[in-house]
Amino acid sequence: MKELVKFIAQSLVDNPDAVEVKEIQGEQTSVIELKVAKEDLGKVIGKQGRTARAMRTILSAASTKIRKRAVLEIIE
Amino acid sequence: MEFQEFAGKSTEEAIDNACAHFQVSPEQLEIEIVSVGSPGIFGLGGRKAKIRAALREESEELLLTSAKEILETFLERMQEKSSVSVHQEDDRISLRIETEDAGLLIGKQGQTLDALQYLVTKMLAKKSRRKVRITIDVEAYRARHNEALAHLAQKYGEKVKKSGRPIILSPMNPYDRRIVHMALQDDKELKTVSRGEGLYKKVVISPAKKKEGQEDAAGPA
Repeated sequence: MKELVKFIAQSLVDNPDAVEVKEIQGEQTSVIELKVAKEDLGKVIGKQGRTARAMRTILSAASTKIRKRAVLEIIE
Repeated sequence: MEFQEFAGKSTEEAIDNACAHFQVSPEQLEIEIVSVGSPGIFGLGGRKAKIRAALREESEELLLTSAKEILETFLERMQEKSSVSVHQEDDRISLRIETEDAGLLIGKQGQTLDALQYLVTKMLAKKSRRKVRITIDVEAYRARHNEALAHLAQKYGEKVKKSGRPIILSPMNPYDRRIVHMALQDDKELKTVSRGEGLYKKVVISPAKKKEGQEDAAGPA
């Protein structure tokens, strides 16, 4: 999951080196924290949150497959 | 990339000159504007516009390959066993996924597929530094979906004609709304409008208002 989010985020931003992804594993749900450079925040959120929403949709599809739940948090 | 300088009365003219020189369309050129130029007064004191232009390294062929690569990597990270084929379709790049688990990739009402298409479009646009149009399909889902939607539009259209009352459809994305509008655009007895704000709007199908006087001439429909 972590690798997936990292791949998507790095392909969207201007500073791919500044992308940090942390996964906090829970029993059923894991939280994935995404951190990007300040200038790139808009790029991972998108117009009216469209990009963030798309990433969450993909994430939930991918996590259904391994019978887990994953939540994406974009950290400022 | 080798840049060459071109001049013209305006930047548009300079770009036209560059296109003529390379014999390509403007989209295939990397263009930098050096100076915009000014028309001057009575043809005096005008400065010419100058641009620098070079052929884009990324040809159409390369663009297709990178689109395919991005989607393949994407699916691999999703741990989706699948294969991707790509081809150019008019002005858009069409990507097809073959997979065992099509339902998962399509998602509820095609949500996951739309998200995938949206993200891959953005990623490719970022990589190639130009706007691209991409369609991603799994097991001809889009073709089936479009057909079903057009059929639904027709069915509701008939209902509206019978009852004379408008029907409001559930919220749809722009692409789906376009299909509904197109399905009913040739029907003179109906009109369709999108209502609402944001990405997801509702389409309202209503009876077309008869213009005064026309009613007598045309007679009852």
